[in-house]
Amino acid sequence: MPKSAVLALDPVLLSAAKFDDEPQWLTDLRQSSWDKAKELALPEFAKINYRHWPLLEFAQDGQTNTNIPDDIQAETESYNFVSVGKTTVKSAIPDDLVKQGVVFCDLQTAAKKHAELLSKYLFTKAIKPDEDRLTAVNASLMDSGVFLYVPHDVSIKEPISLLQVQDSRQKTNFVNHNVIVTDDNSSVQVLQRTETIGDAENPASVAVEVISGPGSHIKFSSLDSLSEKTNAYFNRRGHLEKDSEIDWTMGVLNDGNTIADFDSDLKGTGSHAEVQTVAISTGKQTQGIDTSVTNYGKHSEGNILQRGVLLEKSALVFNGVGKIIHGAHGSKAQQENRILMLSPEARGDANPILLIDENDVIAGHAASVGRVDQKQLYYLMSRGLTKEVAQRLVILGFLGVVLTEIPIAAVRNQMIAMIERKLINGQRTE
Amino acid sequence: MSTLKVTDLHVSVTDEEEKTEREILKGVDLTINTGETHAIMGPNGTGKSTLSETIMGNPNYIVTQGDVTIDGESILGKPVDERARLGLFLAMQYPAEIKGITNAEFMRAAINSRRADDDQISIRSFLKELDKNIKTLNMTEEMTERYLNEGFSGGEKKRNEILQLMMIKPKFAILDEIDSGLDIDALQVVAQGVNEMASPDFGTLMITHYQRLLNYIHPDQVHVMMDGRIVKTGDASLAEELEEKGYAGLRDELGIDANLVDDDVDQTADATGNGDD
Repeated sequence: MPKSAVLALDPVLLSAAKFDDEPQWLTDLRQSSWDKAKELALPEFAKINYRHWPLLEFAQDGQTNTNIPDDIQAETESYNFVSVGKTTVKSAIPDDLVKQGVVFCDLQTAAKKHAELLSKYLFTKAIKPDEDRLTAVNASLMDSGVFLYVPHDVSIKEPISLLQVQDSRQKTNFVNHNVIVTDDNSSVQVLQRTETIGDAENPASVAVEVISGPGSHIKFSSLDSLSEKTNAYFNRRGHLEKDSEIDWTMGVLNDGNTIADFDSDLKGTGSHAEVQTVAISTGKQTQGIDTSVTNYGKHSEGNILQRGVLLEKSALVFNGVGKIIHGAHGSKAQQENRILMLSPEARGDANPILLIDENDVIAGHAASVGRVDQKQLYYLMSRGLTKEVAQRLVILGFLGVVLTEIPIAAVRNQMIAMIERKLINGQRTE
Repeated sequence: MSTLKVTDLHVSVTDEEEKTEREILKGVDLTINTGETHAIMGPNGTGKSTLSETIMGNPNYIVTQGDVTIDGESILGKPVDERARLGLFLAMQYPAEIKGITNAEFMRAAINSRRADDDQISIRSFLKELDKNIKTLNMTEEMTERYLNEGFSGGEKKRNEILQLMMIKPKFAILDEIDSGLDIDALQVVAQGVNEMASPDFGTLMITHYQRLLNYIHPDQVHVMMDGRIVKTGDASLAEELEEKGYAGLRDELGIDANLVDDDVDQTADATGNGDD
């Protein structure tokens, strides 16, 4: 596997990424990851060639702009956590949660105040810093993010919501890392919004580690809308212990090139992951999404459901990987990946990959790449709907199977609004 | 008053596989004013559905000669959605099924497509109207929350077409074999819906094989179509005459050299018609 020709890792980057008063253990983690980064290969994304993307072209003199735009400021009320670039604008949870021992703060604060807890989970269980070059770079250069820890038997009813803004008003690096941990029998809902402000060209590296302790339940939703000029790498990874469950709902609605790795490691017996993804590609962008579920534990269950829509000259690839490790008796792995293409110039691909090393399992897959049904369009238009509105209705209908599964109504409505906006923008240039 | 006028209309379809073009309509003339109810009868394969799809603007039908106008303005260059907004409505023989969009959502979008952005129908008045119409059509509220035609029986689809007609309130409605697949009770309900639409601002063109429908929706004019042309026009009594003599009888009487493709299968098609459940 070739190492990227675009590797531009200056040691200056490492010192610039460091938090103020950073504890030694974190500096050591950065350094050891940094040392390995150059030797590690880029991760493989089947059918996507991203090696020429400037994913690692970080600004060596990356600036920090602490001025917070009004429209972001106005949104802070709706979120528990808001950051712009590396600047934390808001971080707050209700007092009763603090009293119950819930930890919620930015990564910098967590490294100092909750070092013992954070170091137990940061790059230890879900993502490993030496998996590939992109995880190593995220570990070395992480400059923002959130740590959420829910103690055993605590159930948080209201969703914890994060708004993490990439600051591209100038050359600024965005290496974001989040750690979400639920201890035994606890539960929480988390919403992560990522977006970009400004028109500068920057790479983005966003990682989320979700560690669900025994019997715990996490509903994780995300909505990504990074800018056209952002080349983005996402890595969201679940580490599921005994009888725990993670429900993922992810809207990959970026305007720029994106590779995303969404994995769930079903480590514990009876652990269960539901992964739902919606992706829309427009313009000339390429988005490649590897969604994988690995059954290690007996009687574990993982289901993947993905829907993608392509407009204009864009490309979208869904690789669904279902892997069952030897010994995972009675486990289940199902996946369905479907892509709808609106433009003859778009390129869509849906690849189910099943790797099964155990007999006593139930596994299956379905995949399709198709075009909008002309009969449906004609029917809708014959009632007076314009072609654009008719297309959007057919698309929303196509995505509906995922959208209706989104557990939080507010997230669902937000996602539908964002999808409509992206479709309208994509249609405008058709 | 509005007028829908079809003049010397010639229409062909292309056979994708054989790459051949076949002429289906061979010069149709027809004038419908709002306030009037017309019926076109004729055997299968004679071009009745081609006429309705062509008026609506189905891109699969190619007009080779003639014109279709609304109040003197040609609509042939306009896409289907524009024609719909001009006041045309086609109750289709085979409505598409669309998952993920509820019936109610769709109808509201259709109504709003005719209204200005700052004058969209309120949910309240929409629901009030919907409620009234589903009662007339003996439909359940649950059907409006189901996905558009998804899993509907043949009869439910027909009722749903009429429900859309009643909600959208077009100037001209073409009902393409709205009676096929309906049992007598459902037919009465559907006819009642259409009859409620009657007004000086609404014109209907019914397309049917059978006189039966005309017992419930009374036409002002009946046209008989054979081999791509309208061969005879009369009042409601023409339909009764047809019922007696059959299409073949009329053909022979008129001395038309039309090849009735369904000369001998026409009656059996009726016998196998599926009922509304």
